Amino acid sequence: MSDPTGIADSSNGLGKVEIEDLTITFKLPGGEPLDAVKNVDLILEPGSFTALIGPSGCGKSTILNAIAGFVPISGGTIRIDQDMVTGINPEVGVVFQQYALFPWFTAIGNVEFALKRLQLPKAERRDRAIEALREVGLEDRARTFPGQLSGGMKQRVALARTFASEPKVLLMDEPFGALDAQTRVAMQELLLRVWDMHRATVLFVTHDVDEALLLSDWAHVMSAGPGRIVESIDVDTPRPRKVDEVTEDFLNNRNRIMRLLRPGESGDSAE
Amino acid sequence: MKPLGRVLNVALSLIGVTIVWWLVAVSGLISQELFPTPHAVFIAALELYDDGILFSDLAVSLGRAAVGFLIGASLGILVGLMTARTRLFAYALGPFLNLLRPIPAIALVPVAIVWFGIGEGSKYFVIAYTVFLAVWLNTHHGTAHVALTYIRAARSLGARRTREFFEVIIPAAAPHIVVGLRLGAALAFLSLVAAELSGASAGIGFRLQDARDYVRTDRMFVGLIELGILGALLDQFFVVVGNKLVHWEQM
Repeated sequence: MSDPTGIADSSNGLGKVEIEDLTITFKLPGGEPLDAVKNVDLILEPGSFTALIGPSGCGKSTILNAIAGFVPISGGTIRIDQDMVTGINPEVGVVFQQYALFPWFTAIGNVEFALKRLQLPKAERRDRAIEALREVGLEDRARTFPGQLSGGMKQRVALARTFASEPKVLLMDEPFGALDAQTRVAMQELLLRVWDMHRATVLFVTHDVDEALLLSDWAHVMSAGPGRIVESIDVDTPRPRKVDEVTEDFLNNRNRIMRLLRPGESGDSAE
Repeated sequence: MKPLGRVLNVALSLIGVTIVWWLVAVSGLISQELFPTPHAVFIAALELYDDGILFSDLAVSLGRAAVGFLIGASLGILVGLMTARTRLFAYALGPFLNLLRPIPAIALVPVAIVWFGIGEGSKYFVIAYTVFLAVWLNTHHGTAHVALTYIRAARSLGARRTREFFEVIIPAAAPHIVVGLRLGAALAFLSLVAAELSGASAGIGFRLQDARDYVRTDRMFVGLIELGILGALLDQFFVVVGNKLVHWEQM
């Protein structure tokens, strides 16, 4: 897969993720090994938006956790701009499903936490934090603690926090999975808007097919036992995309993925 | 429950208990020597107040509890942070501290007296020991079990170890530390009385022992009520301060 959509031109060319022959094996409580991910090849072009879709247990979050440096890999390599991933790296931002905001800091305190690594003067750090909150429409909630924010607002603060530290790669693990349908759509549009300003390379894990097709340039469908990619779909629906404008492309892709995800047809029984 | 409702609840419950207490005491079933009326206890309290020992005992006991608590709590937090975040300390101290836990404070009183004499030192030691174990255990537990996502988020946001420790691990463990301090304060009282019952010349525990020698149950009741009220107030204090300190997590 070469340049997926042409949008890579607008990024600074950084943030290329190359995964080669990745295998991740866990030990089950009984001591037996389990291949959560087996022989996966995946390339994320700089500035592209890639979705990983699949049923739970197919290893999609495991791949994300490996790129983030959260879990050790058992075989293969992961490189970001030629550098091998060996641990947690602040060039790689992560947005978690459960937000992972620090409840002891205010919204702006959370964003500033991320900015501290840039070692800016205090006033500039503050300005940039406010700017980041403005991008997600929460500048008037800067002094609010996460406990007083709704789920959608929490995830907006988390987005602001992650984008503020300007990662080259952004990993999102079902970030909108805990939100209700309407909030979810609003968040998807917000994400596309903010992403358009920052253009990090995004890997987005979801089990929602519509979400994947709305957001991504490439959608990779995964299957469990062992976790692997069974099909890669080039989502060439032109941007900007709208939730309420369903094109024929979209429906075709949707049907294709749905068939792959149907139990028993995606090679679940294959060993 | 609303604050006013709670005050009303406490007041009504105490009035009810006092009425039953009074009825039992005047019924003649038990000699009033052994079971004084509320009124006799009130008179005994006034008497102690007039002698100037009601508040001086209170001050002495509170002072001992405070010093012992401060020593035990600061050591407990410090060692708890160390054993939870440094494998060396966990291996070196963990088993030993867990072995100490079942040893009750009162069993330590004889040892403390031999080591520190019957002065203030032995009281501080016994109280600090009890408080230390409670605070250590809770601090250790809270610090060792900080949610993995917080640590992952902190590191992927570029926080180095020092910043992770002070801005993530300590606040994340703070609710547990506060619970440890609250428990420690209650235990400080228990061990205080244990320490004062043997070898003291002032304090609530000493006054209880002293009253026994003269079979002054009315004075004993004064001491017990003092301990109850003091303990309850202290607990409330820790709840209020704790809720302010870890405002993101209502206790």
